[in-house]
Amino acid sequence: MSYVTIENINKSFNDQQVLHNLNLAFEEGEFVTLLGPSGCGKSTLLRILAGLTTPEAGIIKIDGKDVTNVKPKDRKVGMVFQSYALFPNMTVEENIAFGLKMQKMNKEVIAKKVSRMIELVELKGKEKAYPRELSGGQQQRVALARSLVTEPKVLLLDEPLSALDAQIRKNLQKLLRSLQQELNMTTVLVTHDQEEAMAVSDRIYILNAGHIAQEGKPHDIYTRPANEFVARFIGNYNVLTKKQISLLIKDESQFTHDLYAVRPEAFGSEFIMDGYKISGKVQNIMPLGNITRYEIVSGGVAVTVEHLHKSYEKLQENELKTLYINKEDVIPLT
Amino acid sequence: MKRINGMLFVSIIPFFILIALFLFIPLFSMIYASFQGDGGTGFTFNQYAEIFQNFYYHQAFKNSIMISLLSSLIAMVMAIFAAYSITLFSKNIQDRILIFANLTSNFAGIPLAFAFIVLLGNSGLFTLLFRAWGWETLSSFNLYSWSGLILIYVYFQLPLAVMLLYPVYQGVQAGWKEAASLLGASSLQFWVRIGAPVMLPSVAGTFSILFANAMGAYASAYALTGSTYNLVTIRVGALTTGDIFARPELGSALAVLLGLTLIIAMFINEWLTRKVRRDLL
Ligand SMILES: Nc1ncnc2c1ncn2[C@@H]1O[C@H](COP(=O)(O)OP(=O)(O)O)[C@@H](O)[C@H]1O
Ligand SMILES: [Mg+2]
Repeated sequence: MSYVTIENINKSFNDQQVLHNLNLAFEEGEFVTLLGPSGCGKSTLLRILAGLTTPEAGIIKIDGKDVTNVKPKDRKVGMVFQSYALFPNMTVEENIAFGLKMQKMNKEVIAKKVSRMIELVELKGKEKAYPRELSGGQQQRVALARSLVTEPKVLLLDEPLSALDAQIRKNLQKLLRSLQQELNMTTVLVTHDQEEAMAVSDRIYILNAGHIAQEGKPHDIYTRPANEFVARFIGNYNVLTKKQISLLIKDESQFTHDLYAVRPEAFGSEFIMDGYKISGKVQNIMPLGNITRYEIVSGGVAVTVEHLHKSYEKLQENELKTLYINKEDVIPLT
Repeated sequence: MKRINGMLFVSIIPFFILIALFLFIPLFSMIYASFQGDGGTGFTFNQYAEIFQNFYYHQAFKNSIMISLLSSLIAMVMAIFAAYSITLFSKNIQDRILIFANLTSNFAGIPLAFAFIVLLGNSGLFTLLFRAWGWETLSSFNLYSWSGLILIYVYFQLPLAVMLLYPVYQGVQAGWKEAASLLGASSLQFWVRIGAPVMLPSVAGTFSILFANAMGAYASAYALTGSTYNLVTIRVGALTTGDIFARPELGSALAVLLGLTLIIAMFINEWLTRKVRRDLL
């Protein structure tokens, strides 16, 4: 029995079904990410878990207890919002202490816990600052501390880093992951950023229009997309029809599925014993810093290829090139 | 760029002229007149001296401030609940209620006094109805008294207060409420610790506006009680239009003091607000 289970959840807004009979389960101490494009129902699912939105049907259990009809304030769930939602009339300290004060905890204990938390999120010296005096990244760390300090059973994060710029986002991802490991906190992150999901999660649920498109470890999802949606959403997979792949590889008998996915970096120049070979014209060369991206056109079909940039290997537009690929890197989709 | 700025400047000239004509010139001529002897006979502090020595004018200020404070307070408390209730309706109904509040807040002065007289005066519709039903306490309500005056003041203050407070509730983010509830706060705890402090500056500002609105009210009080009630605006009116004999310079001095009262009230309000909301410095 998992630590958190979500069973047969359905939700509609104005007669439009947003979540379709969803079933998810999270283990204690696990970092799970709900990944999907904007509008697919991630936030709604998270809010249902927090008790802020009521589902039409389904059961939510946390730590073995059915909390489907329990109020948010009694669920022992922490949540961090994209908009931070810090209390503007309170200092950093007061914001973080708020949840403990609501639990009527002893003043000295509160002070101790708050100062430890401030250290953990690296905000020492900012105790007396008001939210408007902090940068976005600092505000989000206060919001994180405010939730963590109450030691919730589950920590919910709704796109907490999406409003921040790239560098700060990367740093906070690291901080988030290390805090989560240190506190062994069961964490559910919602994001539309697949790189972020890959970087921090133990496990990922990919959502598409209120359905679960795939579930698994980041590496498995990345290397084994189960369907077209996941292949297109994760990385820049080439998605090819049976006809296209047959034209490209000139080996019709092999391909029985309707659709295949091939990662751009799966192609290589070295000969592979038991692999496929494709030859074609190089087009649309794009140097992208440490990688070079280009297209190979063969039999009227174009595929995107990426490899590490090598300065001694000059590519020419329209040059003829032969590439090899492992058979298991041509992934059949369902 | 230069040309556009020039055009902009030309287009706001009428606005400046309007402000000059209807705000600054009257203001300065009023201040100027307040330092003149009766009939404009040279510079003097006599008008102010007279006001400070005359018990009658002290009483006028006391009455004006009392009725303004009281009616603003009552309207404010009612509006805090009324505006909150409005936010619970659907957007469509909210808009309709606001239009209604807008209409009623403009219903003031002599028409308002008259409406009240028709409904609650000595032979008003409701007065007669209450008498017929034998509701003595209600039928003995005297509209032309202090409480009648407060009733009318509250009536024109309330819609204004609702209209000013309604957007303040929109400023209280739903996210704060949700965050507080997930941290274990009840709805009451949220309003006491976050909602109310966040709204306080705007509530205080609204109170200042209501206070000024009541201090400057003239027509409804005059229409209801004639000059029997001693209010600053009624005194100013009597002195400038000359019910008995006109003394516009004394009236000007009273009006200047009325203006000063409003400014002082605003500063006290501001100061108190900042004491409570330390984060606003
Ligand atoms: N309170 C609401 N009222 C009506 N529709 C809503 C509400 N919340 C979300 N939706 C709709 O539900 C769908 C999923 O929204 P959401 O869960 O916020 O998506 P995501 O977080 O994945 O971007 C969207 O189509 C959105 O318009
Ligand atoms: Mg969302």
